[in-house]
Amino acid sequence: MLRLEAMSCGYGPFSAVAELTLQVAEGSVFALIGANGAGKSSTIMAIAGHVDLHGGSITFDGRNLSGVPARQRVRAGMGLVPEGRRLFSDLTVDENLTIGGYCRAAERTPENRARVLDLFPRLKERLDQAAGSLSGGEQQMLAMGRALMTEPRLLMIDEVSLGLMPKMVDVCYDVIRRLKDRGITILVVEQNTSRALEVADHVCVLESGRQVWQGTAAEARADSGLVEAYLGLAEAQ
Amino acid sequence: MLAFELFMQGLVQGSIYALIAVGLTLVYGLLRILHVAHAGLFTLGGYIGVLVTNATGSLALALLTAMIAVGFVGMALYRFCYQPILDRPPYVALIASIGLFIAMEEIFRIIFGPYGLSYTAPPLQAPIILLGMNLKAAEILTMVGALILIGGLGVLAGRTRTGIAWRATVKDPQMAESFGIDIVKVRYLNFFIGSALAAAAGVMVALLNNLVEPTMGSVPSYKALAIIVLGGLGNVRGTLIASLALGVIESFGTIYLGFLLDRDAIAFAFLILVLMIRPQGLVGRSNG
Ligand SMILES: Nc1ncnc2c1ncn2[C@@H]1O[C@H](COP(=O)(O)OP(=O)(O)OP(=O)(O)O)[C@@H](O)[C@H]1O
Ligand SMILES: [Mg+2]
Repeated sequence: MLRLEAMSCGYGPFSAVAELTLQVAEGSVFALIGANGAGKSSTIMAIAGHVDLHGGSITFDGRNLSGVPARQRVRAGMGLVPEGRRLFSDLTVDENLTIGGYCRAAERTPENRARVLDLFPRLKERLDQAAGSLSGGEQQMLAMGRALMTEPRLLMIDEVSLGLMPKMVDVCYDVIRRLKDRGITILVVEQNTSRALEVADHVCVLESGRQVWQGTAAEARADSGLVEAYLGLAEAQ
Repeated sequence: MLAFELFMQGLVQGSIYALIAVGLTLVYGLLRILHVAHAGLFTLGGYIGVLVTNATGSLALALLTAMIAVGFVGMALYRFCYQPILDRPPYVALIASIGLFIAMEEIFRIIFGPYGLSYTAPPLQAPIILLGMNLKAAEILTMVGALILIGGLGVLAGRTRTGIAWRATVKDPQMAESFGIDIVKVRYLNFFIGSALAAAAGVMVALLNNLVEPTMGSVPSYKALAIIVLGGLGNVRGTLIASLALGVIESFGTIYLGFLLDRDAIAFAFLILVLMIRPQGLVGRSNG
């Protein structure tokens, strides 16, 4: 469903990711892992249309995305939970969800909101509260909920577990599993490698903007050398 | 009774400041540009108001025409003056804006003459006794009009999808765009509404003074800048409070300190005083 072909991207003259090739199959969970500064967020933001391509291509559903602005990519079915969540902090929870549903017809908002609140009941009591006043875990729920309001077929989540207590991480991964069961394709960036390997079907390891390993999650788990060389390293961060 | 009357006069003046300053703070919030030329749009609104009223006899039509026409001029200013220099440092836009404002004053002088225009039959000059006070109908219209316009803005921003998208764009344009919001459209809307409000203020000032002249925007231009700093740059609620507060302070000041300082000097003494005590502005937060 999503295909990166020798994709390079960066900021002005600075190259953040070089020649990355990967393919995310429909309905699967794909984990992108690596140490700080490896280029994971840049990759996701390039897919979402916020970082300039320096070369190669990104195709989504067979359509080349070069020149397609970010706001059309979301309409095409890409939902984004960006690094740091970037909620609209002085808007209420409900308003954040409304923005999530902005790319779809207004009539769809109530139904989508009901579905999101079903997934994250905690948000229900906080609908009129400013997003910035939520706890870290609730903010992550809202960020995921806001992305789900776009009716994504591909959901990209940058840093699922960062800064969350273990119980919250469980909640988030539980939701990821349920979304997968519903047929949503998921691309996660994760520092906590063992958590990522639990849900992922496929794993790509980045280091300094280059891909150093790629394979199935089962292979990754079996390869103890790999875990030590790259994943253990990322885990220690 | 005098105190109450002064207070009401202050609110009338404050309503005008509010109509001007809201547009300025909206532009600042969205683009981080100090849109000095905004006061030129206020003057243009005044001219259109007088000309249309004199031609048709209808103040309502004049107000509507001024707001819509100036709204479009504001959009054009964004498109042709600001959009091309958006990725330059902010002072570039500031200098462009100051230049634009001076140019606008000169254009008004060339087109409409240096001495200003008046209503041939000034509307709404009849005195109305309200709560034992003598107010001109025009003054009541100014307050009620400002209340309706700013209330309408509040409803738009708080209750509609477009308004929510607008506020989201102010907060984080990149994220707003990644949720499908067309941020260029939001900017046009922002300039249209801000400029239309300034035009309404221009029509009302023309009504209160029965005069429009090329330089009528000069004092409001720097006062409005000071007001939005006082209100916490980009903060609409703070700007409204600062506008009304300034109007009332000026109103009392001219009576009690008038022997010492003139109206504008009092206004700026107040602004300097507040900023010395609360450099973050009256309301405190820098965004909201
Ligand atoms: N806005 C930016 N402008 C310039 N360089 C940037 C920008 N954002 C990231 N970079 C650089 O791009 C490289 C990759 O950063 P990126 O954020 O993609 O890494 P990451 O894998 O997400 O790291 P982390 O785990 O810390 O989030 C880094 O060298 C970083 O300094
Ligand atoms: Mg990152």
